Amino acid sequence: MPSMTIRFEKLIPIPLVEQDTGGSDIWESDAVLFEQAKKYIIQAPSGKGKTSLLSVIYGIRNDYHGEVYLDATDISTLSSREWSRLRKEKLSFIFQGLELFDDLTALENIQLKNSITGHKSLHAIMEMANLMGIGDFLHRKAGILSFGQQQRVAIIRALCQPFSYLLADECFSHIDRENSLIAYRLISRECDMQGAGLLLTSLHEPELMEADVQLKL
Amino acid sequence: MKYLYRILWQDHSRAHLIWAFLGTLAGFVLLLAGIQFYLDFKSILQVNRDLLDPEYIVINKQVNIGQTLGLARPGFSDHEISEIAAQPFTGKVAPFISNEFPISAYTENEQFPDFYTELFFEAIPDEYIDVKSDQWKWDPEEGVIPVIIPQDYLNLYNFGFAQSQGLPQIPKGIISMINFRIRLRGQGRGNFDDYRGKIVGFSNRINSILVPHDFLRWANDKYGYFTKAAPSRVIIETRDPTDPEIINFIEEKGYDTIREKLKSSRLNILLKLILSFLVVIAGIIIGLAFMVFLLSLQLMISRSSPKIRRLNKLGFHYREISRPYIVLLLILMIGVTALSLLVTGVLARHFSGMAEDWNLELSSRLHGMLYGTSLGLITLIFVANMVAILVSTRKLCK
Repeated sequence: MPSMTIRFEKLIPIPLVEQDTGGSDIWESDAVLFEQAKKYIIQAPSGKGKTSLLSVIYGIRNDYHGEVYLDATDISTLSSREWSRLRKEKLSFIFQGLELFDDLTALENIQLKNSITGHKSLHAIMEMANLMGIGDFLHRKAGILSFGQQQRVAIIRALCQPFSYLLADECFSHIDRENSLIAYRLISRECDMQGAGLLLTSLHEPELMEADVQLKL
Repeated sequence: MKYLYRILWQDHSRAHLIWAFLGTLAGFVLLLAGIQFYLDFKSILQVNRDLLDPEYIVINKQVNIGQTLGLARPGFSDHEISEIAAQPFTGKVAPFISNEFPISAYTENEQFPDFYTELFFEAIPDEYIDVKSDQWKWDPEEGVIPVIIPQDYLNLYNFGFAQSQGLPQIPKGIISMINFRIRLRGQGRGNFDDYRGKIVGFSNRINSILVPHDFLRWANDKYGYFTKAAPSRVIIETRDPTDPEIINFIEEKGYDTIREKLKSSRLNILLKLILSFLVVIAGIIIGLAFMVFLLSLQLMISRSSPKIRRLNKLGFHYREISRPYIVLLLILMIGVTALSLLVTGVLARHFSGMAEDWNLELSSRLHGMLYGTSLGLITLIFVANMVAILVSTRKLCK
């Protein structure tokens, strides 16, 4: 698979324009380059634009100044069809807001994505769920699971597709340390397997999570 | 994909959709039944006349005070005749010609009382006359003038005049045996000739005293000295006397005719009026139902907008997201079409059974036009709704 780069030029989300962004590795730079097959951990306190950053890359926010390129393509020129294709084949997102369907079971939520990509077998899904300790909850409605359990469902769902980059937005916020590590290893393993890059945002200093690059926002 | 349907069909706009469905159904049934019965009645009207025999209509100008005072022209000008000929309902048209010299007739027979009268003759080409007789010809050598009089004249005499005056009634056969003389008078004293006259038939179609066209032309040449008048009546051969245009044209031009003949044309106008009324009502109902459809689907979409945005974030294209709505729409549309055709079919069967008791033949099967109409209309509604669905899901997606 040819590797894909993500490049920013003077990127700043409009809500951050008036804010003090001093010390930021990204908002203060003229150009930032992300390379596939590298793991980036982006750490910042609340309100510094972590979600905005990932949302801009994923095409669900376009209130920004500057330019974002996927390879040589300015993302503001992409059509809805191209975005859909990117989100099925190149970019996967673990949303901070999870974006699960409460009325579907955990497994159905996962299968909703997997059924359009056909990426994982049911067996593989069960294995991941068991590994993360939610194997017994797969047939419960997502709406009645705890936030931490839902977070793990969202992680598994995000891994059920081919991607060049995995965008993970504070995806361990409600998971205990031990399970966070398990989840991180699972994510890393999938990224390695796919030769994909990881952009993981975190509120705190990441502990025990090895990364190629650590950035501060 | 089944998850998509489960997610998007969940919203509870069912009541709206059911009302929209029923409304569209009612509108469709009304429209289709209207067309069905209109086509039936139209064919009944057409069957009632002899298909092989085109209908003849005699048109004259209405007599008004201007004509009485000699100010307006009572006859049809060449321009007016060619205008009539150009009408779509006109097959052929011929003006009546009339005598341009005085005519009188008298009897010469011992069995009948002496009888003398001034007369007029009119003539039209033979093909317009409903009486076929081998005596209907003019031969100057023989000097016998065949005459056709209206059936009504004989009836007037037999059932009115003869009875009240104590005179014998005369059957048709005897009338043709009566010999009488016809005197044609040219200009100047003593310039006249007597011919034998013979009644060869009675016309139900033409209310005039007819002689062969050849004869009258010949006689007008020989004796005529009146100023040539424009023909006061024309006869039209029409293929479809039910054509409502005939009445419209006659009324618009201020012409006159025997109304009885155009009954079916009037009935046709009435039918068309009723049908257009039905179509308007059905149209309003279908229009309203269509709006409810549109709004219900839009409501469903807007209630689901968080889910639609979420699906879009997960990589579903808006076209994929629209599909469950379009499929739902398609199911409803097919349901409306099938049910409305079914209900109309049942109605048609029911009414044709009822109409049989009144000796009316209504078809118990649906006319082919209904399938076309319902299909066309439903396609229109479907496409319009589909576009609306695509537009509104697109708005929610990136």
